[in-house]
Amino acid sequence: MAKYIVRRLITMVIMVFVISLVIFIALQSTGVDPVGQMLGVDNYTKEAAEEMREKLGLNDPIIVQFFRWWGNIFKGEYGKSIALGYTVKDGLIAKWPATLEITLYALLISTVIGLLIGMLSAFWQNSIIDYLGRGIAVLGNSMPEYFFALILIQIFSIKLGLLPSAGRIPAGGGSRLPNLILPVCALAIPLCGNLMRYTRNTMLDVANQEYVKLARSKGIPEWKVYIKHIFRNSMRPVITILLFRLTILIGGSVAVETVFAWPGVGQVLTKAITASDYWVVMFYTLFMAIMMLSISFLIDLIGALLDPRVRLGK
Amino acid sequence: MEDKKIILDVKNLNTSFKSDGQVIKIIKDVSFQLEKGRSLAIVGESGCGKSVTVHSVTRLMAKNAIINSDHVIYRSYRNSEEPKEYRIDKMSNYGKEMRSLRGPEISMVFQDPMASLNPVYRVGDQIIEGLLEHNKSMSKKEAMEKAIDMLKKLGIPAPEQRVKDYPYQLSGGMKQRIVIAIAMINDPELIIADEPTTALDVTIQAQIMELMKKLQTDYNKSIILITHNMGLVTEMADDVIVMYMGRIVEKGSLRQIFSNPSHPYTKMLLSSVPVLGLEQGQKLTTIPGSTPNPADLKEGCEFAGRCPFCTDACLKGKIPGFEIEEGHMVRCLRCAGHKEVD
Repeated sequence: MAKYIVRRLITMVIMVFVISLVIFIALQSTGVDPVGQMLGVDNYTKEAAEEMREKLGLNDPIIVQFFRWWGNIFKGEYGKSIALGYTVKDGLIAKWPATLEITLYALLISTVIGLLIGMLSAFWQNSIIDYLGRGIAVLGNSMPEYFFALILIQIFSIKLGLLPSAGRIPAGGGSRLPNLILPVCALAIPLCGNLMRYTRNTMLDVANQEYVKLARSKGIPEWKVYIKHIFRNSMRPVITILLFRLTILIGGSVAVETVFAWPGVGQVLTKAITASDYWVVMFYTLFMAIMMLSISFLIDLIGALLDPRVRLGK
Repeated sequence: MEDKKIILDVKNLNTSFKSDGQVIKIIKDVSFQLEKGRSLAIVGESGCGKSVTVHSVTRLMAKNAIINSDHVIYRSYRNSEEPKEYRIDKMSNYGKEMRSLRGPEISMVFQDPMASLNPVYRVGDQIIEGLLEHNKSMSKKEAMEKAIDMLKKLGIPAPEQRVKDYPYQLSGGMKQRIVIAIAMINDPELIIADEPTTALDVTIQAQIMELMKKLQTDYNKSIILITHNMGLVTEMADDVIVMYMGRIVEKGSLRQIFSNPSHPYTKMLLSSVPVLGLEQGQKLTTIPGSTPNPADLKEGCEFAGRCPFCTDACLKGKIPGFEIEEGHMVRCLRCAGHKEVD
């Protein structure tokens, strides 16, 4: 097991490196000239641009630039926004708390509700709970979250006037709770539906296994059959999708943050992309890649803990 | 009937499944009795309702199953001559009463040992799960000792190590022994084995069947064996039930069925199996056609469509069973003239 973990970690480091190289080259080859953006139309002369390039090291071979970028990241300098004039540290990292605020709530709520309704609808298959859960799941899966966001605003902000439609901090001060409700719901409903459907289907799958019948033939009560035998064996696939959603913690939701004017990383990214601000985009993309890799590593680890076949196998 | 100890008495069992608003009858008017200490084989082609019959008795059925019967009575002769009677047909599928029977009185061995064990628990824990459920005061340590004892009895080497294994670490034959240990751990009176050797290779099959035979004779257990393996039937069974499309077509002792098979289906079933040392150049026959879809069945004899002796009378009404010798029932109009018993 220890050997396996070490091997996985080494591959991860290599993969991060390769991914960063791909991102770097891809962004370099977009043909966007950051110098042009920096100087602006008025100050742009060939000489000034050349001087700027020399100063920023943009004339160096691409591979030198690449390693310089990595060196800076290790020094804690993540780069500077070219167009907007802030550093990645101030502009992007400082926005994470706002993103975490809505995504954490959304994850927490959707996980609890999704698992619970998923389990109940497997237990009472074809009951009202089951049909309701399946309905929400279809809705959540088929509608993009920004569309949900728009519907929520339309109903609760415009028609009913109950909740604010935008912003993080209310203009007149006071509780931030009302501002949180709509963005959290817009994020949570699709997540919840997905998890619900997944939990239900895997549990029903497992419920048809022969070992569940054998467990019943031992005369143990139904709740024990469900918890010990069915739920325990359904956990692996469910945990997988649960963990993959952790990426939104870091990445935030570009769409929902934009619709609700929520000042999180998603919004910074939107601005950065429109301004061809490639240090920001690069850092964000790299971070997401690391996040995804760590999560899939985590999934394998938890999977191994849950399943002796993986835990003890070669 | 007075001196016979009937452990299981099933009268007119009917099981249907609800599917897409349609109700399909799978088991039709099945009646049989099992004596204590005897073994009963239920044979027939795949899909003839063997499994559904015993699952209807033990109530391990899907939610869309509808089970009806005149009665299903289980009698426990454990403590005294005076049996304790349980009306299984009056119990709910997963209710307390039914659960108290499962394990200590009636237990089951299933077809596929690879799928019968929960992959994420150690086999020892799976063996003692039922034991602890029915003996609340027993400690885990005591239970594990009993489990190890049981594995020893079943001829498993190094049982102290085996209980710590996970199912995937064991071979198929070993897994089936574990499943039998799970079935035996509460010392039940009736063991129902649903094709216990179908998924195993032939040498292991023989070992497992010997084991079950030994359990039956040494501990005076009753066994219901579901199989389509005629070889197993001749080795194991005292009584035989032949089923076709959810109905018992012939029923009798092993000798009666094998030396005097009287239903065309039984005859064809037996002549499609090689019998060692019977005849030089014996040809195996096949039964033409295949089992019909249960939803399409009309009145009359279920076997009529594949029967070489089918007459117009076979296609009408309900075909009664005739007793052609004592305890030997045949559901075929060709035996009309004998006493009608069912």
